[in-house]
Amino acid sequence: MSQLQHHIHLKEGDVGEFVLMPGDPGRAEVIARHFDNAVHVATNREYVTYTGFLDGVKVSVTSTGIGCPSSAIAMEELVRVGAKTFIRVGTSGSIQPGTQSGELAIVTGAIRDEGTSLHYMPADFPAVAHYEVVQALRKAATAKGLAHRVGISQSKDSFYGEVEPEHSGVTQRLLDRWKAWEIGGAICSEMEASTLFIVASMLRVRAGGIMVMHGEGELGSLEPLIETAVLAVRELIKGDQNA
Amino acid sequence: MLNDEKQYHIQLKKGDVGKYVLLPGDPGRCEPIAALFDNPVHVASNREYNTYTGYLDGVKVSVTSTGIGCPSAAIALEELVRVGADTFIRVGTSGHIQPDSVSGELAIISAAIRDEGTSKHYMPIEFPAIADIDLVMAIKRAAEKNKARYRIGITQSKDSFYGQHEPERMGVAADLLNRWKAWEIGGAICSEMEASALFVIASMLRVRAGGVMMVHAKEPMPPLDILLNTSIDALREIIAFDKENGRAVN
Repeated sequence: MSQLQHHIHLKEGDVGEFVLMPGDPGRAEVIARHFDNAVHVATNREYVTYTGFLDGVKVSVTSTGIGCPSSAIAMEELVRVGAKTFIRVGTSGSIQPGTQSGELAIVTGAIRDEGTSLHYMPADFPAVAHYEVVQALRKAATAKGLAHRVGISQSKDSFYGEVEPEHSGVTQRLLDRWKAWEIGGAICSEMEASTLFIVASMLRVRAGGIMVMHGEGELGSLEPLIETAVLAVRELIKGDQNA
Repeated sequence: MLNDEKQYHIQLKKGDVGKYVLLPGDPGRCEPIAALFDNPVHVASNREYNTYTGYLDGVKVSVTSTGIGCPSAAIALEELVRVGADTFIRVGTSGHIQPDSVSGELAIISAAIRDEGTSKHYMPIEFPAIADIDLVMAIKRAAEKNKARYRIGITQSKDSFYGQHEPERMGVAADLLNRWKAWEIGGAICSEMEASALFVIASMLRVRAGGVMMVHAKEPMPPLDILLNTSIDALREIIAFDKENGRAVN
C-alpha cells in the first residue's frame, strides 16, 4: 500500500483524504493556488499532484488526463495512498437548450457512454455521485450566488463524436443517443465522471463532480468553478468533523 | 389522451390526487398508509391500482399502489403525472445485498440498477436511474426523526422475484449468480422490483422520485410501522422544504 504507485508516482502521506480532480494537468497548479501552503508533489505522464491545506486539513489536487481510462487509474492509485473523497472539476458541453456558458453543472449521476466502467460493473449498474458531495457542492454554489443546475452528465469516450458527429461512421447513432440524453434531462457532457462514480462505489469512497458548461455565449473565467469546488471541500471537511 | 380525462389504468382524473404520492407495490398496503393521512378518502380501485387521497399539514397527498414490477409501475407513474402529481416516494419491502444488513433496517435509495426490461423502452441502458437528491435528503431526515437504522445507497431493480431467491433452478443460473456478486461488490444495498423504471421515467417527465424500503435479511421481519411512519414524515419534510423554497405544494 505504501509503495510509490505505478502511474501517479505518489505514496501514502503524499496526498490528503480530499482530492480535487481536474482533467487538465495544467489546471492542477491553478487550483493548488487556492490551498494554504501548497507544494508540488509529483508529475508523471498526465498526472500532476499538488498537496496543501484547507482549514488545517490536508487536501490535494491530481489531474486525471482526458477520458475514463486514465481517470480510473488515478482514482484506484489515489485510494491506495489514502484518498477517500473526490471532486471532479472541469469544463463540459451542455445538453439542455437555453443553457448559458458559465452555468455550473453539479453532477448527480452519469450516463455510462464509455468503455472503461464496463470493465468494472455490468452496464445496468448506475453511476451515482455520493449525496454528501452533491449537497456540499450545491451549498457552495448557492453560497456564492452562482447559477447552477443539478443533474445527470453524459460521460463519453469521444470528444469529436460529440462536437462533430457528422464526421463519424456512426453518425445516426450518435445523433439519436444525444437526443435521448436531452429527453432524459441530462445537463452536461464530459469524459470522466461515470467511471469515477462506478469505481468509487466499488472502493467505498465518495465522489462527485462540478463542471462549468459551454452553452450560449462565451465561456468566461474558470475561477468561480474552482472557488466553488474548494468551498465544497471545506463544507465536506466541516460535515465530517461534525459527524 | 386528454389530461382531464379519467386515466385508462389508474381510473383517476385531475383533482383526484395531490402533488405528493406514496407508491407501495401492494394494493393492500394503501389503506394502512392512508390511515396516517388526515381525512383520507378512497378515490379509485382498478386492477392493481388502489388510490387514497388525504392531507398532511394541510397539503393534499395521495397513495397509489403500483402492483409488482416495472411494467405496471411505469403505467402508474405516467398516468399520475398526467393528473397532476409531481413528487413520488416508493415505499415497500426489499431483499438485502450486503452481508451485514439486518431485517428491519431502512434502505434509502440513491439510484437503481436497471436489471429489468421496462426502462429500456424509455432510455438506452447507459442512462442512470437516479433518485431525486431533495427526496433522498427528506427521507434521511424522516428516518432520523423516527430513530430508524438506515443506510443510503443503490438498489437492484429486478424483473424476477424467484430469479433472485432461487437462482440455481433457472436456465440462466450462472448469469444470475455472477451478477448478484457484482451488485454486492458494487455496494448495492437492497433488491426490489420497481425503483429503476420509476427513476428513469421521472427524469424524462421532469418530476421527482425517491424510495425507502424496509430490508428483509436473515431475521424475521418486524412490523412495518417504522417504514410507513418514515414515508409519511418524508412527505412532511419535502412539503416543508418546498414551502421554504417557494415551490407550489397544492
